Amino acid sequence: MLIVKDLVKTYPNGTQALKGVSFEVEEGEFLAVIGLSGSGKSTLLRCINRLIEPTSGTILWNDIDITAAKGKEIRLIRRQIGMIFQQFNLVKRSSVNTNVLSGRLGYVPTFPSLLHSFSKADHERARNNLAMVGLEDKAHVRADSLSGGQQQRVGIARALMQEPKIILADEPVASLDPVLAHSILKYLEQLNKERGITVLCSLHFLDLVHRYATRAIALKDGQVVFKGLPSEIDDKQFKEIYGQDAERIEIS
Amino acid sequence: MTSTSKQKSNIMKSTLFAPLLSLIIPGSGQMALKKPWRGFTVFIITAVLAFLVEWGLKYYEIGKMTIGGWTTSWLWIPLILFWLWNVLDAYLISKQKTAPVIVAVILAATVLYLIAWIVTDINLDRLVTRFDAAKTVATKVVNPDYFQVYSNGEYKVCGWKCLWEYVSAKVKDEPAPLVSLSDNVGDIFGRKGTITATWWEKLTRGVQIGERIPGFETGKLIETIAIGLMATLFSTIFAIPISFLAAHNIMSHVPGGKLIYYIVRTLLNIVRAVDTVVWGLLIIVWVGLGSFAGVIALTIHSVAALAKLYSEEIEHIDPGPVEAIEATGGNFFQVIRYAVIPQIIPSFLSYTLLRWDINMRSATVIGFVAGGGIGFFVLETIRVGGYQQYAAALWAVAVVIILVDLISSKWRNRILEDKPRAAQKTTWSKIRSLIYLILGVAAFIYCWNVTSINLKNLFNPGVTFGRLLKDFVSIDLSPSVLAGVTKQMITTIMQALMATTLGAIVALPFSFLAAKNLTGKSRFSAWIYVITRGVFNVLRSIEALLYVAIFVYWVGIGPFAGMLALAITTFALIGKLFSEAIENIDTGPIEAVTATGANKLQMIIYAIVPQITPPFLSYLIYQWDINIRMATIIGFAGGGGIGLTLNNYFGSLQYHKAGTVVAIIVIVVAILDFTSAKIREKFV
Repeated sequence: MLIVKDLVKTYPNGTQALKGVSFEVEEGEFLAVIGLSGSGKSTLLRCINRLIEPTSGTILWNDIDITAAKGKEIRLIRRQIGMIFQQFNLVKRSSVNTNVLSGRLGYVPTFPSLLHSFSKADHERARNNLAMVGLEDKAHVRADSLSGGQQQRVGIARALMQEPKIILADEPVASLDPVLAHSILKYLEQLNKERGITVLCSLHFLDLVHRYATRAIALKDGQVVFKGLPSEIDDKQFKEIYGQDAERIEIS
Repeated sequence: MTSTSKQKSNIMKSTLFAPLLSLIIPGSGQMALKKPWRGFTVFIITAVLAFLVEWGLKYYEIGKMTIGGWTTSWLWIPLILFWLWNVLDAYLISKQKTAPVIVAVILAATVLYLIAWIVTDINLDRLVTRFDAAKTVATKVVNPDYFQVYSNGEYKVCGWKCLWEYVSAKVKDEPAPLVSLSDNVGDIFGRKGTITATWWEKLTRGVQIGERIPGFETGKLIETIAIGLMATLFSTIFAIPISFLAAHNIMSHVPGGKLIYYIVRTLLNIVRAVDTVVWGLLIIVWVGLGSFAGVIALTIHSVAALAKLYSEEIEHIDPGPVEAIEATGGNFFQVIRYAVIPQIIPSFLSYTLLRWDINMRSATVIGFVAGGGIGFFVLETIRVGGYQQYAAALWAVAVVIILVDLISSKWRNRILEDKPRAAQKTTWSKIRSLIYLILGVAAFIYCWNVTSINLKNLFNPGVTFGRLLKDFVSIDLSPSVLAGVTKQMITTIMQALMATTLGAIVALPFSFLAAKNLTGKSRFSAWIYVITRGVFNVLRSIEALLYVAIFVYWVGIGPFAGMLALAITTFALIGKLFSEAIENIDTGPIEAVTATGANKLQMIIYAIVPQITPPFLSYLIYQWDINIRMATIIGFAGGGGIGLTLNNYFGSLQYHKAGTVVAIIVIVVAILDFTSAKIREKFV
């Protein structure tokens, strides 16, 4: 279980991205984090794996205090938490295979990894994970020769190399054509259902939340304004989360 | 009642207070009215111009006039007008308006250019009165010493005419004159002769090191190419690790990294501010004259320049992959290896190629001080008045540099395109890589030999090197030395100013002729394009230092000759850059303005001029930076300015004073670099 308590993040320029966020995630949930751009979704997700240092508050994960971890401990925690990014964050000039293997860096000793030497087992893992996202034939092409949807699938394969217990997905489909959104989210759903990986996923479109999430929280100006089932978000809630001018739109 | 009078006094205060301030201290009124940048600029310009006017009066009697026993310079008149403009400006700012900047620019420029004109010793009449000299030197330059003809028992140098006579005689099947390649060609390109054996000959031919054996004497041009190649290789090797120490985003992750970052950045800036040729002066004291000194001098300067470019490239990488690798639990070194290095490879390669181009150019002049390569040859030929031999070297350099430029830019474009290639290597590509590797190693060994690299010399410095180090720590700051050095430094800056202005003004019209989107429509204009571009490229391929000799012959030794040489290279580079800026304009606005029914002139003013002004300004500032550096060495060939002073101090082993010169060069170049960077930020 992941418990976030009174999480505050104030950036050096004074911006308050999170103003005391508290919520809990049960193991095996698919939690959607919704809210407008700038509401603090990205900051929240990055505080969980400490890519961003929270100003105050605690994050407990199965009784491990993530916020108190230091140096090597952080890296040991990070390697159990996979992350998927809006811009995919692949190394564009490296091959797909190298990108996927780099997901294993938290497990391998430093020196051999600097020489790009990975174990047979890791190569086998990379093959399997690429097969899982349907890209086994693309292992040796450069990452930037793939389409956006394919790149995000490589991103998923990279996260899977970590054999994660949690996956943080920061707007995983926002840079993709809407029609590709489902293909990516279906992979996340599959991992969530079949392997029991907890998923925390920030999303823009409400109908995607309805379709995939088991629970949702909504952020507005760094505060939680909604917690509950996706089906509970009615028109009144919607206006509260997205502001009075917002209109509901749907993508198929 | 009281409130009205109070209001009134406030208005009085706000409208008259600032102008009054500006009257006392220029720019202070603007600062008080919350225009700090404007105020500071006005203050600095006034202070610099006032200093220059008084300085010019003292050393050159510029604008000297006597009014009732009181001697002053009439250059104070435009300066006082500038001062009054600043008062008016402060007044208008308090009324939410500003005084027209163009007036201030004209007034300041008047003072500056009048002083520059005198200081750089511009004598236009000399261009005319010594026109015969120009004709003589021009004839020699277009008839380089490549051929000799045998007649009446002796060899005589002859120009292209000989070749023509020889070929036409052969074609007509008549007895041809006895034309052959001259000795000079051997000096430049190499010839069969005797060489001193090195370890390589010992290995391959079984002779003793140092023995004189028959072999191929390396030409000065080949030596130059080798110097450029070796310096590029060495500087790349050293610059890569240093660049990581100078990258902000890397060092902020390392404990104590911020401090290292600032130290390395400062050192790089200092090393870069000193020109390669000046480094050459220092290095010859260390390892002695020769190509090796040239390689070291080029390497030092090039390491600093490359490391700066590399580190900026590291700072501009996409942070996404870094974040992603950190999120997988990778440590610092793994992040560098998997997220940073793959991203920077193409830009590093392209900067190295660019540097190779620059190093080849520097290698052609380093011989002026270091005694290796074609620069040394040029210096010697000029000394004995061998202008045809000098011309032969010039043409050869032009061909080599144009080729290098072509190869380097083609290669760079291909790298920056960065097309994904098949990751799986074919057998053929493996064989090809192996061939490249073998060729590379062979070239490396050859160049190592040609540039007579001797690492032992590094640990066995020359006798006066210790003194040089000691003297550089305690440089001579006595007033007389400082005054002399300041005088030469101002001359140097003024040379750069005049050369940039003159070169750019002449280049402007030609740059339109060399823009492909404006010319090249008909066959005639296509030829104009090709010819203008060609002239730019040929002139650009030769360093200003090599041109000086021509102008020294024409207008005599001194700053005027140096300024003209700088103006030639400025003309060529600015012309090329301007024409490329014109080629890169966006056709959208042209279409849009034309669609409103505007005529051609309106179209140019509203659609083209706004687009080309920022790049033009930016290139001018860039050229000004280059010219300042170039002007510091132009004196080595008789072009006046600080270079001559420096050369004299080094030559007479007065290292205390030489240190002063180097220090002042570093400071001035750093200040001007900083200023131009600020100006570029502000306007471009």
